[in-house]
Amino acid sequence: MAKDRSQREDYTTPLRRLLVGVACLLLAALFLVWRIDSPRVERFRAQLIDAVVPNMDWAMVPVTGFVNLFRDFQSYQRLSEQNRELRSELRQMRAWKEAALQMGQENARLLDLNNVRLDPKLTFITGVVMADSGSPFRQSVILNVGARDGIQDGWATMDGIGLVGRISGTGRNTARVVLLTDAASAVPVTIQPSGQTALVTGDNSTAPLLTFLENSDLVRPGDRVITSGDGDVFPAGLLVGQATLDRNGRMRVRLSADYERLEFLRVLRHHGTQVIRDPGGLIVPAPGANTPRARPGNLELGTDSPASGAAAPGVNGADNG
Amino acid sequence: MAEVTPGKIQIMRVSFAALAFLIIFFHLLPLDTQVRSWAPPDLIICLAMAWSLRRPDYVPVLLLILVLLMADLLFHRPPGLQTLLVVLGCEFLRSRSQPQHETTFAAEWLSVALVITVITLLNRVTLSVFAIPRAPLSLSGIEMFATIATYPLVVLFSQTLLGVRKLTAAEAEILEARK
Repeated sequence: MAKDRSQREDYTTPLRRLLVGVACLLLAALFLVWRIDSPRVERFRAQLIDAVVPNMDWAMVPVTGFVNLFRDFQSYQRLSEQNRELRSELRQMRAWKEAALQMGQENARLLDLNNVRLDPKLTFITGVVMADSGSPFRQSVILNVGARDGIQDGWATMDGIGLVGRISGTGRNTARVVLLTDAASAVPVTIQPSGQTALVTGDNSTAPLLTFLENSDLVRPGDRVITSGDGDVFPAGLLVGQATLDRNGRMRVRLSADYERLEFLRVLRHHGTQVIRDPGGLIVPAPGANTPRARPGNLELGTDSPASGAAAPGVNGADNG
Repeated sequence: MAEVTPGKIQIMRVSFAALAFLIIFFHLLPLDTQVRSWAPPDLIICLAMAWSLRRPDYVPVLLLILVLLMADLLFHRPPGLQTLLVVLGCEFLRSRSQPQHETTFAAEWLSVALVITVITLLNRVTLSVFAIPRAPLSLSGIEMFATIATYPLVVLFSQTLLGVRKLTAAEAEILEARK
């Protein structure tokens, strides 16, 4: 019997070994292809996620809900303590609310005075977080909106308050948001009030680093960090967070978005900002506007140029916001 | 003796896939979107190794590849790399384990720990050779040690609850005869 088995193994093992070898070669080839032609494989990954994750949704939603319920229940246990905290916070908030109301009114008045039209192109789509990255090494979430809803790669994602991340990988019904805390994330920002520009670079920690600061002396903890719109990555002026100093003396950003519970996220539609490329021309011709129209020859040049100069910014102001 | 019927083997293959899917599912739940300073053990690796050491016929290579590749793609890891390393590790363990020889669990654990360490190291080295951003060293270290530490628990779970244990000589004979 023992001889019999050894014969059988002689026959099956080389075949098996060949199979394993071929499979390993294919896996190595897949890895290499991914390294060389990342977008194609990433598109495949997005399609796979699109096919798999929505199918798990029916189970994910109740389980997530149940776990969150349990966590909430744990927090009910210290209800009275929480109540006291909330009361004191409420007192503070009343004062803030008063200040905010006044500021809102003032802001509205100023906007009215300037006749500002906020960017009409910056609308948003709200999606629900379906799943997270599943690994502690990558910080990303999957939204239940995708190419079907017009989501495109690179669009900014916010929760109600601050920037959360950037769309990277869209399937038909799902889209992946790479969070600002991911090591692959870098976003150009401006720090107010000093006006310094920098990059918010994720490093797998709760507060991403502020890198490429030109003069870090001008930045103090507590300064507001907003997107700068450089490199056409994001629209300008989205709130990212506040600058803080960490223990090693490096500048980091405390994010305004509530990363503890990401549930509903807004994806901002962004079709690119207009860039002035021609160094002489300060005004970008609006698409479709026929600015340099031929004039009748008997009109003088002197009256022509200011008129067109005055008309063009009105058109532009609406586009740029 | 009912252990070795072909139907049982098919059921165990399906349950391996189902267990792996369950692990993936719980990893994907959007419970913790904050950055964590620790990493949970990679249970799929534990399961794959424990089962390929005990009953290699429950985890055929193709099933293993399918499950691991799925995890790679869903967890946003470089596709294929981890799969390749784990498959090679499992093959190595399988070739070293002799079904006739009863090895002690300590020896098995040691070899598994070695293989997991090598997998983690090779993974990091390959990523750095191909200039792909790596996870922080501390996180992969924590994951590695957690995986090694949970291995006995996974073995216990598979042996007692699922009955994945080494074949006795008699059962092996039956299996051979049926082939």
